[in-house]
Amino acid sequence: MIVLKTNYGAISIELNFEKAPKSAASFLQYAKDGFYDGTIFHRVISDFMVQGGGFETGMAQKPNGEPVENEADNGLSNVVGTLAMARTSDPHSATSQFFINVSDNHFLDHRNKTEQDWGYAVFGRVVEGMEVVNKIKNVDTGSSGGHQDVPVIEVVIESLDVFEEE
Amino acid sequence: MPSRILLISDLHLEDSRPDITNAFFEFLQSNSGNCTSLYILGDLFEVWIGDDNHTELSQSVAAALRDFASAGSSIYIMRGNRDFLLGEEFAKQCNALLLNERFVLKTDDFSALLIHGDQLCIDDLEYMEFRNMVRNTHWQKDFLAKPLAERSTFAGSARQQSKQATESKSNEIMDVNQAEVENFLRASGEIVLIHGHTHRPAIHQIEVGGNTGPLKARRVVLGDWDESLWFIEICGDQLNLQNQPLNS
Repeated sequence: MIVLKTNYGAISIELNFEKAPKSAASFLQYAKDGFYDGTIFHRVISDFMVQGGGFETGMAQKPNGEPVENEADNGLSNVVGTLAMARTSDPHSATSQFFINVSDNHFLDHRNKTEQDWGYAVFGRVVEGMEVVNKIKNVDTGSSGGHQDVPVIEVVIESLDVFEEE
Repeated sequence: MPSRILLISDLHLEDSRPDITNAFFEFLQSNSGNCTSLYILGDLFEVWIGDDNHTELSQSVAAALRDFASAGSSIYIMRGNRDFLLGEEFAKQCNALLLNERFVLKTDDFSALLIHGDQLCIDDLEYMEFRNMVRNTHWQKDFLAKPLAERSTFAGSARQQSKQATESKSNEIMDVNQAEVENFLRASGEIVLIHGHTHRPAIHQIEVGGNTGPLKARRVVLGDWDESLWFIEICGDQLNLQNQPLNS
């Protein structure tokens, strides 16, 4: 289990190593390396998802690691409370950025292996602290540094606790 | 007061369906003076052979729209695949503005790309060929120079051919091409697309692959007026697709 300690409260997440081994391992490594400490949820859309893991306070983009193979064909669906890998229009371009679905976004699920329909890989879920996610999804947003839907008051992941089982 | 915008399409008004014409006049009356603007996204008429063909139907519709405009609403008319020859003269008669085939509707709280929708049916090669021909300005100029009787004969046979062709075409071919939908949205930078044409009213959520993360877009399809009337109401940032039985 991993606990994201934000300025809005703690969010506990569970990674799915069985269904999304590569994505989960990548996220865990970033977490252990302290990469996410001090990053922000920089893209917040209240009826869609909250996205973070790539920018520091002041909307400074962090350098990314190697892209991870897209595991969206693992049968997991982008429903409320799930974590999925954010990426560009290239299906296999995900690195550190992730998002938490705050709606049932089935249209983000894998349909086929074309660039257009590959979908977004779900690799974990929120097990505790969904009320914190709901607080975050409702913050006021605006434009900042050429980006839209940026929280006016920063939502910061101050630190992460990693509890490895077994 | 927040803006209230109404959008309709595919009324296919014709003499043989006075019930639809009446429903349209009632729709205008009931919304007269209480909406900012009305957008008609194509196929207001089932057939249109030129603005110079003054019929009882065309004149009564123009009068009704003029009244609606004088009550304080702006009217915007887009051409459809049936009334693609509708022109500035008729628009002027209605006190309406004629829109190009792609138009971005923008308010303080809402924006969307508006099209008729036939442009998205690119899998229907036969239709696309016909469309390229009749949307050509030279073809239109030549056609409009012909006597009304000749134009009317052409329109009749084109409708007949289209009807026969439609019966033999699969549903998939006559629906929109998904990749083309995404192309239209990407090219416009909009995340809401509103159209008619397919007669398949629905609100589809689609992902259009943003470069910054997942991007949620909506394709909102107006229904045709037949057994019920369909319209979209946009108030502030809220969009609603609504329908009512025609005889209510």
